[in-house]
Order: sequence, then C-alpha cells, then structure tokens
Amino acid sequence: MTALLAAEDLSRRFAARGLFRRGRPVQAVAGVSLAIARGEAVGLVGESGSGKSTIGRLVLGLLAPDAGRVLLEGTDLASLREAARRRVRRRLQLVFQDPYSSLDPRRRVGRQIADGLAIHRLAPPAQRRERVAALLAQVGLAPEHAERFPHQFSGGQRQRIGIARALATGPEFLVADEPVSALDVSVQAQVLALLADLRTRLGLALLFISHDLPVVRSLCDRVVVLYLGRIMEEGPASEVLRHPRHPYTRALLAAAPGDPLRPRARILLRGDPPSPADPPSGCVFRTRCPYVLAECAQVVPALRSGGPGHRFACIRDDVETTLPAPTA
Amino acid sequence: MRRLNWLPVAAVAAIAIVALATPLLPLPDPLAMDIAGRLAPPSRAHWLGQDQYGRDVLSRLLWGSRVSLGVAVLACGAAVALGTALGLAGGFLGRLAELLALRSMDIVLCFPPLLLALLVVTLLGPGAATLVPLLALLYLPGFVRVVYAGVLSVRSQDYAEAMRALGATRLRIMTRTILPNIGGPILVQFSLTMASAIVLESGLSFLGLGVVPPAPSWGLMIGAARSTMAQAPLLLLWPCLALSLTILAMNALCDALRDAVDPQRAPRPAGLRGTLAPHAPSLAPDGDALLALRGLTVEIDTPAGAIRPVRDVSLRLSPGETLALVGESGSGKSLTGLAAMGLLPPAARVVAGDIRVDGRDLRRLDETALRRLRGTAMAMVFQDPLSSLNPVHRIGAQIGEAVRAHHRLPARAVRERAVGLLRRVGIPDPERRARSFAHELSGGMRQRAMIAMAIANDPRLLIADEPTTALDTTVQAQILELISGLKRQGGMAILFITHSLPVVAEIADTLAVMYAGEIVEQGAAAALFARPLHPYTAALLASVPGEDGALPRSIPGTVPAPHDLPPGCRFAPRCAHRRDACEAAHPPLAPVGDDRLTRCIRWRDFAGTRPSAETAA
Repeated sequence: MTALLAAEDLSRRFAARGLFRRGRPVQAVAGVSLAIARGEAVGLVGESGSGKSTIGRLVLGLLAPDAGRVLLEGTDLASLREAARRRVRRRLQLVFQDPYSSLDPRRRVGRQIADGLAIHRLAPPAQRRERVAALLAQVGLAPEHAERFPHQFSGGQRQRIGIARALATGPEFLVADEPVSALDVSVQAQVLALLADLRTRLGLALLFISHDLPVVRSLCDRVVVLYLGRIMEEGPASEVLRHPRHPYTRALLAAAPGDPLRPRARILLRGDPPSPADPPSGCVFRTRCPYVLAECAQVVPALRSGGPGHRFACIRDDVETTLPAPTA
Repeated sequence: MRRLNWLPVAAVAAIAIVALATPLLPLPDPLAMDIAGRLAPPSRAHWLGQDQYGRDVLSRLLWGSRVSLGVAVLACGAAVALGTALGLAGGFLGRLAELLALRSMDIVLCFPPLLLALLVVTLLGPGAATLVPLLALLYLPGFVRVVYAGVLSVRSQDYAEAMRALGATRLRIMTRTILPNIGGPILVQFSLTMASAIVLESGLSFLGLGVVPPAPSWGLMIGAARSTMAQAPLLLLWPCLALSLTILAMNALCDALRDAVDPQRAPRPAGLRGTLAPHAPSLAPDGDALLALRGLTVEIDTPAGAIRPVRDVSLRLSPGETLALVGESGSGKSLTGLAAMGLLPPAARVVAGDIRVDGRDLRRLDETALRRLRGTAMAMVFQDPLSSLNPVHRIGAQIGEAVRAHHRLPARAVRERAVGLLRRVGIPDPERRARSFAHELSGGMRQRAMIAMAIANDPRLLIADEPTTALDTTVQAQILELISGLKRQGGMAILFITHSLPVVAEIADTLAVMYAGEIVEQGAAAALFARPLHPYTAALLASVPGEDGALPRSIPGTVPAPHDLPPGCRFAPRCAHRRDACEAAHPPLAPVGDDRLTRCIRWRDFAGTRPSAETAA
C-alpha cells in the first residue's frame, strides 16, 4: 500500500518572543512520521500544546518543517516552486476548529465557497453558482444559503460551510483540525456523520485532529497519540483503544467522559503537560506518568511494535496488567 | 452592513455641494475691495457684512471653503492611497518591506509637525499647492499604522489561512480578503483625518504658512478678523462657525461610518448589572432550599420584538446537592444561571417568577444587598477563564480582591488567605503562582484560580457555567475532581451548567434538561441516565460517541429560535416519536412517579428503552 501522503521525521520549532528577551524556542513537533493511504482516516490525538495542529499545517505545506519532509505521492512538497505548490493545494484541504473565525465575516458564503473554484479555474464563472449549490447540498444546506453572510448561520451550519469550501477544489486529502470541539454535542454528531459520509462517498483521506478519543474512535481507522510533539502510540483505532500499551493513552481514555451509565476508575494525571520549551529528559511523559520508573529519565523510549501495525513508545510491558501508582 | 445614519452624510454632502457650486452662485468677487464699506455690518447686499478691506464676507467664506476643503480632501486622499499601499506592503510582503514602511513612518513621526511644516514651506514656498503634500506627509503615518495593524490582525485569522490553504495568490488574498476587512478602520481614519486637516490648514494659514493672501481661506479670515476683533467681533464668528460645523459634521459622519461598516458587532457581553425589578409578589420560603427558582421567565427586547428565552423554569437546590442544568446553545441554561446570580445582561429582565437564594427573594433586593449576597452566599465560575481573569493584575491580588470585597483584613492576612485558597484548589507552589499573571498559567490552572476566587468567601451556592468546556479532557477530569472534592468538604450546593451529559454523569445528583427555553425533563441523575423519559434527553444521550466505536446519532434539524417556536411540543419537529397530539397542544411539565418530571405526553410508550436504539437520525 503506497501512502497518498507521507510525513518523514518532521520537526518544527517556534521562536518564542518575549517582551524584553528572546525565550527558548518551543519544540512543537519532534521527529514525527505519518503515512496516510488513499481513503484512510487517521486520528491525531493529544492535549493542547501537543503539536497536533502544527502537524496538520506541516503536512499541508502551510508551514515549512525545520527537518524532515512531506511527500505527496512521492513528491516532496518542499521541492515544489511557489506556483506548483499552490496547484497542489487543490488536492489537500483544511477544515478549521473555530466555525466563527474561519469564515470571512464580510463576504457572502457562496462567494467564499466559490473561491476554490475560481483560484484553480475549476469552473467557468457561469457555472459557479450551480457548483456552489451542489456543494451546499452535499453538506446538507440549501442553495439559497449561498446569498447569506456567515453571521446568519449557527455554529454547526458554519462548520458545514467550512467543509463545503474545502470540498470545492475536489481534494483527495482533508485535514480536519478539531472540527467538532467548538460545537454542541448534538451538533457534533451531525458534523461527524457528515464527515463519515463524505469520506465513503468521495473516497477522501482524512487526518482528523482531536483531543477527544471517543470521537476519534467513531470516525477513524488508525489513531496516532501525541504528547509534547512526539508520538507515544499509534495503531489501528480499535486495537489501540481496546488495548492501549502506553500509559498516556490509558490516561486519556480514562479521562474521556464516555458512557454515563458506565463510569470507570479514573487515572487522574497530575498537573499540566510540561512546557514544550523545556521538555523533560528521557521519556517526555515521565513527569506525569503513574507508571514511572527511574530509567525513564535516562532513555528516550523508541517506538516499538505492540502487534500488527501497533507501535508504542514506553519501556514497560506490564502497563495493561498493573494498577497505576496512587496519585499524589 | 448595518443601516447608515443618513443625517451626517447629508450634512457633509451639503457642505461639499455648496463648496463645489460656489462659482455658480451669484456672489460678489471675493477679492473686490470696497474701502468705503470697511467693517460694515450685515446688510441686504452683504448678508454677513464686509471685512477690513470691504470685501464680502459670505463670498469669502464660500470661496474659502473651496480652498480649505480642497486642500483637506486632496491631502487626505493622497495620504490614504499611499498609506494603504505602504501598510499592505509592510504587513504582507515580508520583513524588508515591513522595515522600510514602518521605520520611514517613524522618522516622519519624529519631527514635530510645526517644524516639518516650516521646513517644507521654506523649501517650497507658501501656498495651497505646498499645503497638500505637507498635510499628506503629516497624515501618512496614521494610515500606514492603521492599515498595518489591520493586516496583521486579519492575516492571523483562520479565514485568511483558509485562503492560503486554497492556494490563493498573495494578490488575491490582499484584495479579496484583507482589504474588505480593514476597510472600516481606514474609512474612519479618513474622516477623522479630514476634520483634523481642515483645522491644520486653517492654523497654518493663520500663521502665514499656508494659503497666501488675498486668496480666501478660513484660516486667513480668522487671522485677519483677530486684528479687528474689537470693532467687528462678528467677523471672527463666521469663519469659526463654518469651521466648527464642518468638523462636527465630519466627526458625526465618522461615527456613522464606524457603526455602518461593522456588519455584526458582537452584542454587549453579559453585563454585570442586575435588573431584577423589586415588585414581584413574595412567596413563602421554600423549605431549606438554598436556591429556589419558581416559574422563572426572562424576557429580552430585540429589534424583532420581545422574546422569552427562559420560560417557566422551576428548580430547587438543597445544601450539598449538585444539580446539572443541561442543554444546547440557545436552550436558556446560561441565562437561567445568570438570573440566579442577579447578573442578567441589561437587555434582559425577569418578567415572571421567583428567585430565592438562601430564603431571600432576589427580586426584592437592591444592588448593594445583591452584591453582599454574591460571593458570600453564592458565587459563579465561567467558561472561559482567560477572559474572566484580569490580564494586568497578579492572580494572588485578584483573589485577594475577592476576599477584601467582603472582609476587612490587613494586607498580609489577605495575601495569606489568597495563597491558602490557591493551595486548596490544588495549584502547586501557590506562593509563586500567586505572583503570576493570568497569561502565565495554563488553561487548567486558570480555571483553578477562578474557582479559588469563587470560593474565597465560602459561598454556600456555586454556579458553574460550562467550567470545563474549554479544557482538555485530562484537565477537565482534574477540574471535575476538584469540584466534587469541594462539594464533599464543604457541603456546598452546585448548579452545574453544561451541554455535555457525560461530563456531569459523575458529579450530578439531579439533572434538569432544558430545550428551547424550558425544562423538558427533570429527576435524579442515575434514574434519568438509565431511563430517560423525554425523547430529547434520549437523543442527547445517543449523540455522545459510545464505547463501541459506532458513530454517534445526531438529532436532525436545529433548535427553534425563541421568536419562532412550534405551537405544540417544542421538540416535536425533531422528534422521532411525534404524533399529531404532540403538535396540537403545548404539553405541561408533568410529574411521573418518584421525583421525575417530563414534558412528553408519550413517555409511557417511550419508557424503559435505552435511548440509542430508539431515536432515528
């Protein structure tokens, strides 16, 4: 299976700028490799600051990596010239988290959806209205909605418009950056159903960025769990979520509010993630890990196999069978 | 675009038309002297009188307006065109352009305007032709700065990023996305600058640096009238009046433009002024309830008429109890919480019902008594801790402020108390954190600090409005743990407002589900989760992704708007169990056995089923 899109060993740091001093650079992404096949849905899971949105921007070529490369069917995005890179954008699209700031408040939504058609000359002006109507229908909106302004829509409807705009260029790969986390639960379900439906209907490959494991499980084939810009665990969604091998994945699962009828024992993580500007030595998760050992500070655990297609970065093998140490 | 206020537009247009039409009017020559009519008062031939050389004042005023306005329009036009180009280039074309555009403007700003004027006039000689480039140069930095700042803020918006993701060229992003969004500030800056340019032209002409006599200009007229002020004070009045009225019209136009170019200015945030009218009939105290709402109805005036986003809501909360108020956006849950705090926004008012906190009727209390009650008897935690904390005060000082609002304590004791509170909400190293600012804390820590502030005076009732919605799941779990810990320790009653049923599953004792402004189901949390008796509750439960990895079921359609409610059951249009009877009459909230209430007339057919299998998408 050749990947539609492959990221190899991506790293990216951001210079922190203080008022009077230059802060330490923040390592947002460190050595992340990903491969997404045609039509596959991959969930990228992590807390805020885990670098998941940065990875989304890197694989779209909206940000340049400091190290590593992004290959679209074998072609390095960085090797393309500006004009060629713009042409490639047609095939890779982005859906944003915030349905309010992602639409231009001063332009009618029909014109915003038509932007992609105009930029890539996918439809002559005379046919654009028709194509916009078809795109709106595809996301469950009516043709007359094209004439309205963004503020006349609810959050869920705006998110649908954002998806229609991304679909206008006929992409093969969609990065959805927390597309439902700003929405009400009942509306979340509508947007998730829409994404699942579009995926099967259009054969879209999807990189679904989220901090919500149950949501990822319902939509994705594979899951990648990130912590401080590094991959902690990855593998088939059902496998990873049923038999998590990494303590962090277990903690995430335990923290997710799931079925209200089956409350479970919580593994409560202490404190906040450490600052990406000053990551701990060894395993970056060790400062919050209930299974921490002395060696964890010394060695950076490499990703190792935990079953077919399942890899995790922890030196312990007994995480599933041992109870976590009591939290302070 | 909002409706433009036409009055200032008409006033400015009238001024412009008069100035443009002056050559066509039957006016005497503004330069023709008549020494005999020197300083003559207004007469039939000379409506505004004659000046010290006997020239017609009205004629000079109108011809002067051409000079004054013409100089201002040309100078501002040049400044806005050049300034927009420089600002766009600086904000969009990379570091070098940014450096050149901004630093060159800093150099212009370094010169005092008068010094610069003297310099330019010395170089180019006085006259209207010199004034135009001079004023344009003086006003250029303002435009560059406004445009540059606008470009930076629009460029960082998701919708500009979306254009980049679509593969748009920089030119396209600049013209289609950025320019329209900074058009408003540019327009406002333009009208402000126009007013100021008219004043400056008059000032420079008055000093002899601008328009050269005998050509008429308002500044020259003021200057000349000053010397004969004792004999003919009216001469000073006319140009001053013209100047003031023109500037007044310009400023009004600027206000009108600012209002009009903002298509959807955010409604004012929930204000902090209680508007509970002290006239409601008082009811007998409601047992030992800490919070008792009875038949609460809130009304808001909108341009489309009054709406009632909260109707007939009754809730009861005992000490130590946690009641979760669950509903989607627009269900009225947050307004209910604000009403219980006496913190309704100014546009909203309680039109019916009774709010009692600790037995005291909130609608009968004045603002001072309410303020005393807030903090001591009740406190509130909001969703977004970053916007609820003051960015310029240290965390410890803000918590100390909350303590001092109700206790007279020495500064040292206040500080110790603040640190103690931070420790109590589980913030590590509280002494150091007390000296931090809000932006230095993580989202979870900020929410802990907010909770510390809320519990500073040991309130008996805590109202938490979506306190974990903005947080990561792991941090959300910590905050929920903290809240239930506080509840166990202090016997505090908690009203927990949220849109997520799973979040409250572990902390709520009782649940009230709101839909479209009214409670549709109420009861003990465990019973309600196990066996929802309203299709909406069932649908909400089914919309949560389950353990099995199946896609969650969505509720078709959207919440009806408060001014467009369906006549019968409000949920009927979206309900899979709808019958004709549901749409015929609005069902009451009826008791159905042990402490359960439901607003569904078909609850018997519906009961006993686990929801997810039942609600069709």
